[in-house]
Amino acid sequence: MNTFVERFTTNASNGLFCGNGAVEEDEEFSDAMWGSEAGFGSLARGVPSFTVPSVSDPAAFLRLHTDDHADPNCKIKIQHGTTTLAFRFQGGVIVAVDSRATAGSYVASGTVKKVIEINPYLLGTMAGGAADCQYWETYLGMHCRLHELRNRERISVSAASKYLSNLVYGYKGMGLSMGTMICGWDKTGPAVFYVDSDGTRLKGDLFSVGSGSTFAYGVLDQGYRWDLSDEEAQELGRRSIYAAGHRDAFSGNTCNLYHVKENGWNFIGNYDISKLHYDGPGDVAGSPGHGYGYDLRVEGRSSVNAPEAAPAVAAQA
Amino acid sequence: MPDMTSLAHPQQRSFNPYSENGGTILAIAGADFSVIAGDTRQSEGYSIQTRYAPKVFRLTDRAVLAVNGFAADGNMFVKKVKQRLEWYRHAHSKDMPLRAIARLIQTMLYARRFFPYYVYNILGGIEEDGTGAVYSFDPVGSYEREACRAAGAAQSLVQPFLDNQIYFKNQTPALGTSHPAHLPLPTVLSIVIDSFTSATERHIEVGDGLEMYVVLAKGRNLQGLEGVRGMQELTVTDDGERVFVVRRDLKKD
Amino acid sequence: MSIMEYNGGSVIAMVGKDCVAIASDLRLGNQALSISSNFQKVFPVTDRIYVGLPGLGTDVTTLRERFRYRINMYTIKEEREIEPETFAHLVSSTLYEHRFGPYFIEPVIAGLSKTPSGGVKPLIAAADLIGCLNFAKDFVVAGTASTKLLGVAEGLWEPDLEPEDLFETISQTLLNSVDRDAFSGWGAVVHVITKDSIISRTLKGRMD
Repeated sequence: MNTFVERFTTNASNGLFCGNGAVEEDEEFSDAMWGSEAGFGSLARGVPSFTVPSVSDPAAFLRLHTDDHADPNCKIKIQHGTTTLAFRFQGGVIVAVDSRATAGSYVASGTVKKVIEINPYLLGTMAGGAADCQYWETYLGMHCRLHELRNRERISVSAASKYLSNLVYGYKGMGLSMGTMICGWDKTGPAVFYVDSDGTRLKGDLFSVGSGSTFAYGVLDQGYRWDLSDEEAQELGRRSIYAAGHRDAFSGNTCNLYHVKENGWNFIGNYDISKLHYDGPGDVAGSPGHGYGYDLRVEGRSSVNAPEAAPAVAAQA
Repeated sequence: MPDMTSLAHPQQRSFNPYSENGGTILAIAGADFSVIAGDTRQSEGYSIQTRYAPKVFRLTDRAVLAVNGFAADGNMFVKKVKQRLEWYRHAHSKDMPLRAIARLIQTMLYARRFFPYYVYNILGGIEEDGTGAVYSFDPVGSYEREACRAAGAAQSLVQPFLDNQIYFKNQTPALGTSHPAHLPLPTVLSIVIDSFTSATERHIEVGDGLEMYVVLAKGRNLQGLEGVRGMQELTVTDDGERVFVVRRDLKKD
Repeated sequence: MSIMEYNGGSVIAMVGKDCVAIASDLRLGNQALSISSNFQKVFPVTDRIYVGLPGLGTDVTTLRERFRYRINMYTIKEEREIEPETFAHLVSSTLYEHRFGPYFIEPVIAGLSKTPSGGVKPLIAAADLIGCLNFAKDFVVAGTASTKLLGVAEGLWEPDLEPEDLFETISQTLLNSVDRDAFSGWGAVVHVITKDSIISRTLKGRMD
């Protein structure tokens, strides 16, 4: 992967239109491209290659034209805003995410799949650049399969996450943006790793990533313990995403819930966050049987609608 | 005489290869058809460059691609997608399936992750199982299959209208009834026309002409399309899906 | 980031047959953080006039009080209720007084004015933050969801709607627009002003 970085550094002293990088793409066409390897044809020869503008600082060029959180006025908007969470417990791993994508104040989509199904026993979550997560986690999936074929056993969650971490670290400073949790079950049991585009890789029990993560952590920390039952854990994931969707303007629409167990992940369900507010999750395991909304829960017990004052308890001496 | 004062100050130049050419595109998937539409105005700032610059392109008999954003990038991108599809045809003696085209577009866009095509793509057509499908992309290749999507200058005007009229958002069905999962073709076409006339009315970069491509699943009859004014068939093969285009005028002011 | 997006919020007004409607969302946020789902932005001015004040929350409160003061002074001096068109100009001049340090509010006015024959004539208007008035024949919008509202209203609105149909049209327009806007939503309120009554309803909207 360093060949890419090297090429880019040697180009650095060239003029504005050195042309070296601009025609790169045409030269990349291999025989495989005639077939159907979906552009990953270069896999056999190492990492895929990317066209880079022939300017002295390509990263600055990219920053100028793409929506870096700080400047929402640029032309190319990369979708931001998210709440994702994953936690490890006695019964496996719970992965829950929202489904909103925003570009500035516009809600670009309410149906984003922020859980990426890498393979039947590995899940990745999506925060930051949607394309970065989708592309590199798909790419990771292909390498996990190669690992299986070469070693006759499944890749560990630790190894898979380290592969991804090393991969994106090779592009550090180039403008990739991803904050992901790689979740699965391997020989060591349930596992969650946080990986981001800065190169951070953390092993842990409980993570939440995105603009709504603080809200999700609030609920999650309060309700989390290792010996949660499956139903309780799923309900905690749902309830945490609801909290974030409710309070964070850039999160919401629906909640996607996954449960990873010993023999792979299961999709539990898709829940409309507004429906969770008014009616609750419906007839599912762990459901409280009513809406999560504050107004609903305090009906008849709020300051404007207070219950009859309880008789004062005599002070004990 | 050269302005000498400017030499006294530091000057900075940056490489700016992008422009914004306005316009709006839109696609809606039906049960066994897809409609992909776009206006034909191309503008830069307050000037109209041309009143007829197509933004919607037939790729195969079952796939249509709409591109919006920077026209030069868009046209080049469509050209490259078409090239790759032709190569595929030569290698496999068949057209690439829609879901494969979607993935191809992702990798082609992501190959330019550090020098993006400033283009929003919407791919519409018929899936291998005969269902209508719409895939929408961001400029660097993240994509998702959807039932309806508007992109471009007037996306924020059109999309909430579509949410209401296609997905029946915020509407409660009468007791004992339910909203239809898929709308019939004539209904979809009239919603598309309404969307573009509304966008033309309220957005300066939208107008002049409207091109609506319709892709019909294999064996589906024309039901409701035969009488449509300004319709033209573009199908190449004769045993599979069929592609049509309907052209309409939009206000030119 | 736009100052309008600091607290968020949107307002729309529509003309019907011998009636007008004005509606707003109920959100007050601190940028991405939603604070209140009960923040009123539409206020009654007289029995036949409502004003919507989307924009910076602090200016909503200030302007509302300022208008209340000026309306009261007008009523006392003139010994009659203010007419919608007069009120629109009052709004305009109040805003223009602060031409170089404006209130960050884009007011929307909806009212019924009296005709010489004893009937009523619907009037809606919107102003920018320094008071440039726009008297529209169909609908006016303002706030963070304004582009969305404009598109939906253009698609749904038709002339001469009866009060109940106007209520449905403005409600659908508002609800579907704020659902595509990150800074508006969290409930909504609609007022339909007719010749002899005012229909006010709170809508059950998405809470995310």
